[in-house]
Amino acid sequence: MSKPIISIQNLSVNYITEQKPVKAVDNVSFEIIPGEIFGLVGESGSGKSTVVQAILRILPPPAIINNGKVLINNRDILASSSSEVLKYRWKQISIVMQSALNALNPVLTVSEQIKDVLKIHNGIEGIEANDRIKELLSLVEINHDRIDSYPHQLSGGMKQRVVIAIALALMPPIIIMDEPTTALDVIVEREILAKIIELRKELGFTILFITHDLNLLLEFADRLAVMKDGKVIEIGDSQHIRDGGEHPYTKKLIGALPSATGPRQKGLLPKPKVLDFGDKPILEVQNLTKSFQDSGFFQKKIVKAVDNVSFQVFPGEIIGLVGESGSGKSTIAKLITRLIRPNSGEIILNGQNKKVSEARRVPLEYRKLVQMVFQDPFGSLNAVHTVYHHLARPLLRHQLKNQNELFPYVVEMLETVGLTPGSKFAEKFPHEMSGGERQRVAIARALSLDPDLIIADEPTSMLDVSIRMEILEIFAKMRIEKNLTIIFITHDLASARYLADRIIVLQNGSIIEQGPAEDLIQSPKKDYTKQLVRAASPGWLQKGNNKGVNNG
Amino acid sequence: MKKHINQNSILLRWVTGIFSNKKAVLGVSIISFFILIAILGPLGTYDPTAFIGTPLSPPSLEHWLGTNGQGQDVFSQTLSGARQTLFVGFSTGILVVLIGALIGGISGYYGGRIDDLLSMTINIFLVMPGLPLMVILASWLPPGPGTLMGVLVLTGWAWNARVIRSQMMTFRSRDFVSAAIVSGEQNIRIIVVEIMPRMLSLLASSFIGASIYAIGAQVGLEFLGLGDISTVTWGTNLYWASNDMALLTESWWTFVPTGLSIAIVSFALTLINFGIDEVTNPRLISERIWRESIPPSMIKNGITPVFKKDE
Repeated sequence: MSKPIISIQNLSVNYITEQKPVKAVDNVSFEIIPGEIFGLVGESGSGKSTVVQAILRILPPPAIINNGKVLINNRDILASSSSEVLKYRWKQISIVMQSALNALNPVLTVSEQIKDVLKIHNGIEGIEANDRIKELLSLVEINHDRIDSYPHQLSGGMKQRVVIAIALALMPPIIIMDEPTTALDVIVEREILAKIIELRKELGFTILFITHDLNLLLEFADRLAVMKDGKVIEIGDSQHIRDGGEHPYTKKLIGALPSATGPRQKGLLPKPKVLDFGDKPILEVQNLTKSFQDSGFFQKKIVKAVDNVSFQVFPGEIIGLVGESGSGKSTIAKLITRLIRPNSGEIILNGQNKKVSEARRVPLEYRKLVQMVFQDPFGSLNAVHTVYHHLARPLLRHQLKNQNELFPYVVEMLETVGLTPGSKFAEKFPHEMSGGERQRVAIARALSLDPDLIIADEPTSMLDVSIRMEILEIFAKMRIEKNLTIIFITHDLASARYLADRIIVLQNGSIIEQGPAEDLIQSPKKDYTKQLVRAASPGWLQKGNNKGVNNG
Repeated sequence: MKKHINQNSILLRWVTGIFSNKKAVLGVSIISFFILIAILGPLGTYDPTAFIGTPLSPPSLEHWLGTNGQGQDVFSQTLSGARQTLFVGFSTGILVVLIGALIGGISGYYGGRIDDLLSMTINIFLVMPGLPLMVILASWLPPGPGTLMGVLVLTGWAWNARVIRSQMMTFRSRDFVSAAIVSGEQNIRIIVVEIMPRMLSLLASSFIGASIYAIGAQVGLEFLGLGDISTVTWGTNLYWASNDMALLTESWWTFVPTGLSIAIVSFALTLINFGIDEVTNPRLISERIWRESIPPSMIKNGITPVFKKDE
């Protein structure tokens, strides 16, 4: 192994709190050799972002680096003075942050933001700077006529390319990528990653890549480290980790996500053998249209979020609504739950079409029949109330249970979704539980009214990968036990395939393609669906081509 | 139904947090002390309106804080003045927050036409020049605590309503509110049971801010002679002090005790507000402890300190 370009030795970082300090990073050591892609993978709270921010010493208060060395080309950054640190930032190491939206300044144009970096570090200005900016934009394949665009005029993928261009501006030998694609749609994500790998091949920089998605990392990283609770629990080359690694947690992470191709994983709840749910739909949506007004100062722009969408859902069926951001899938959820009103079209539940003028005039019986599970379990539970309040209030409101039956029933519901002992969880507050437990509470709340239809809007996307399957499992179980009908909304084709019987693919507010889940994934008809399937399949990046690049 | 009390309730934690926060405890103690004075004050040494000694005599054993231009005991007057001043101040604070929460809350929650109408009303009250309006109304209406309160509430509620409205608008679109709507909860219950507790810190600091404003403005109006000058309040104390040309006669004892009381009360209320801030935003405390736990030379903007214990 050649001499490491980065060597991290016994790094520890504490966050100061009112009580005793929290050990965010605990005695972490690893080395990165020149030219490689080193992956750092872990779930939320594992300390992976803290590690990279400590390398750049950009951790905000109340963080303190307590121990360790960060050697970059054999110089200890942690022992350097602040003026030295400023000099080595960006020239030696640059960083691509997770959210391109926040990393760019909304009031400066693309060229001004890059110019800043060039001027401060290299003193390049004027025509020279302009040439350099154009060169950088060509590298990340952004058209030169975008040079004077503001960030809001660019798409998410283009913004992330600009951020990468800024990171490349001084051609540093090391680039840190902190979840650079997590906020992007899957097709764009693949494009950006392919671009990064191509650039590395061309320019030969070293990459430290941070992500929560182990399977993604296995596609292109040379070596990787798995972090959990502030510690590195496993370091190995990709091949070794792909084969299962040593640590049980690594094994759990690898098996955590369903895949879009190949056989469905073993040990999952089976789907019904015959997909026959009768011919009387429980829900019928006809020509649903919803547009939002984007009120500009001079002209009003009308955005069609949902455009003439029709579909049927049959009792006991799980429908997967799949689409990227802006496809209108969440708007459809809000329309069906009557949180917002459609501009036109019908929503027919159990053969009845109740027209309602406003969300607050929806009849109570509709509220009992249709329930919703939200994306963010941190936001969908009220921090000032106990779990018991969350489950008991709807029951009291609908007068389904009297005071004596209430507590035992709440406990029973909590145990149904795997929160045992239920009586203990009933008294907890949302902030005393993990994300997965909160989402279970949210599901229990939706189930407690014994609805006919549950709409689950990306119920796993905010959760750590290792518990996503368990949550999907609950839905699958409930369908079998309670003959629930579920509309499962997701951006992830693989989990839709795992859970849903039928998949509807949405793009820009319209239905592109629909059909039985397996058929649709095995033989997609439309180009867009094909693209989605390809992006969700392993091996999308031609691995091997990018290996063996040395830092010249 | 079984009662479930959990030590980790956010509301409970706030209350215990307030009482373990030094600033807040100091503020609360000072305010409690003044409230005690307001209640017991009139039982003080002399009748505050009685002529009991030589006018403008300096502090002595008999009259601890001397006498004013009317020959009244300044100490007794300061104690007695607390009652109406604090009563009007805190009642106005409560009213301003209640009206603000009601109008701002409804406006922000419902949106649409209701919001258009209510925020127009709020805006109209906001652009009205407060000070001249207060002066005109106070001089036109019969003087008394009721008038003062009315005038202060009328000129003070709109700003609060505005703040609460915008806070309500951000809560309105949160998932936990949508979840409550989907489960069939009534709107009024959503506002009162689900959202208002989340706004408690805002409501509490609004109340304190409004009380500081009310005490200040009230004293100001009375100082201008727009209050009921026959009653004893901190404002009328200052009015008489100015009337008797306390500055010219260098009889500082006629206005310093009252002025100091007002300043200390405002200071204590501000301390409570700081306390609420720290309790509801633990980050502030963390950063303070962080600052205290490392050598000042290491605190550099934008560069994480490296502080090894063994060094």
